[in-house]
Amino acid sequence: MGAATRSLLWRALALTLTLEALLVPAVLFWPNFRDNLDSLRGMMPFKAARDMLDQFGSAGAAGYVCGQQFFKACNTLGTAAAVLFAAGAVAGEAHRGTLELWLSRPVPRRRLLLERWGAGALALVLPVFLTSATIPWLIGQADVEEEIALSAMLLCAAHQSALLLAIYSATFFCSSVGSNPMAIGFAMLFLTVFQFAIYLIERVTHYSLFRLADIPRFIAICERGELDLRIVLPLLCASGVFVLASVLAFDRRVP
Amino acid sequence: MPQVLSTASDRKIQVREISRRFGPKVALHPTSFEVGPGGVTALLGPNGSGKSTLLRCIVGLVRPDSGSVTLDGVELSGDGTAVRRRTTFAPGEISLYTELRGREHLSWLLRGREREAVAVAESLADALGLPLDHRVRTYSHGMKRQLLFCAAMAPRVPVRILDEPSEGLDPSRRGAILELIERDAARGTTILLSSHHLGEVDRASSRMLFLHQGRLVRSEDSAGVRAQAARTLRLDYGSALEIPERAAAILAVLEGLGGQGKGPSPGPVRAVVRGRRAIVTLPEGDPRALLALIFAQRDLPPPESVEYGQLSLAELYRDVYGVEAV
Repeated sequence: MGAATRSLLWRALALTLTLEALLVPAVLFWPNFRDNLDSLRGMMPFKAARDMLDQFGSAGAAGYVCGQQFFKACNTLGTAAAVLFAAGAVAGEAHRGTLELWLSRPVPRRRLLLERWGAGALALVLPVFLTSATIPWLIGQADVEEEIALSAMLLCAAHQSALLLAIYSATFFCSSVGSNPMAIGFAMLFLTVFQFAIYLIERVTHYSLFRLADIPRFIAICERGELDLRIVLPLLCASGVFVLASVLAFDRRVP
Repeated sequence: MPQVLSTASDRKIQVREISRRFGPKVALHPTSFEVGPGGVTALLGPNGSGKSTLLRCIVGLVRPDSGSVTLDGVELSGDGTAVRRRTTFAPGEISLYTELRGREHLSWLLRGREREAVAVAESLADALGLPLDHRVRTYSHGMKRQLLFCAAMAPRVPVRILDEPSEGLDPSRRGAILELIERDAARGTTILLSSHHLGEVDRASSRMLFLHQGRLVRSEDSAGVRAQAARTLRLDYGSALEIPERAAAILAVLEGLGGQGKGPSPGPVRAVVRGRRAIVTLPEGDPRALLALIFAQRDLPPPESVEYGQLSLAELYRDVYGVEAV
């Protein structure tokens, strides 16, 4: 097994285990959560959090699970993983001095770059799908009468993946032109944390990137049983543009 | 080391007017030369003279701003993959993936090469005593250099480009590596290497290219060096040359011996002081014919000793760069 494959598997495994470790107690706690929803609502200090609890209450288990898995876990941990996986992709090679070695083999640059992008993207997206696929089984263990369709969870995972891929690709582009993975990582993390923070502020919430992957969106996907292409397609196009820009920048990059 | 070269292969490196600048700094002025087929050509020059930039341009790691490169009949274009398929490149800077084992690293380095290259590289590494089952982080600087060297020498290619292949190696390892380079060149491979070790260049290379501040300032082959040696006399004047005024007077007399039908030289005699010696070079002809004139000069002290027909690479280096080579 090659070093790159091994690294990919470790990353994917780490993200899968972390997401699942957050998901299992959250899903199993659903009956208690549902029963104490009113008390919890009263304890919430700000409106955004109270609104979220209302959405859980109205959409039932599906809304709650979407909130836990996608809005909370994937939008925070998944985004952090997207930034961490991409920040060092090329800049990491430059930083450790191995870029020249990486490029000196008789392999086209575009292939090297796209392979690296693809490996990171897979390590990012696969755990989202895998953990989301366990939700219907987990809800069955939670001693509730509600059911969640696997197809709905996979559609939500696809929607979430489109956002994560866009963040990953933007960071990947920065890595393709930069040489300091730490600076790129911190800058992108700051930007995404800022975006997540403004989601919670009523007046500016519409400027947040995470409006594209919040609880109402996922509830709508579950209810309609189809992807919201008005969001997914632009996100995929943004990823494509960032990948193309990375390829063009990398073509002329000096080791 | 298997070596099967295609009959269509011309095994030449042709560099035509390539230049490269990094921001305001010109790393390489328009440079042209041709190397091969076969033989070892050494690229010499002080740090920052443009050696590594030139080598990187040839293999397509750095795009030249102008000019063209043809390697083994293939024009450098795009990202240079077609050129890199016909050559191997051992970078001068050693930064390896230290988390990998030596064996894994060799396979990684040899991606895109024929399958047998890994086995060949492993056998070379075994011969050099590299512990391939250990992680690269446990390797010394010299061991890492040898690992890169093994990967560069293993594939069946008509041209190899080695950036300081023996830097950081002890004399015995350096000898082993030079032997492998010589053996490979004897099979017909064209090798272009850069080096700071004049001893190894003297031993292994049949031609030398001197770079200075991004310009190719001189190209010498072994025959040229021998010919220059045959036109050179070394006159040891002892402590007389340590006094600047005295040295200047001696040089003036020596340079006055050339041309104007006075001596054997049709042109001016060139004389320089190196330590206790005056080096006298004729543009052509046998300088020994000057000896009678030198000894006949009343205003010249008789030299304590005279040497003829020797020219070390260190002298050539000093001649080009004006600094003492070590």
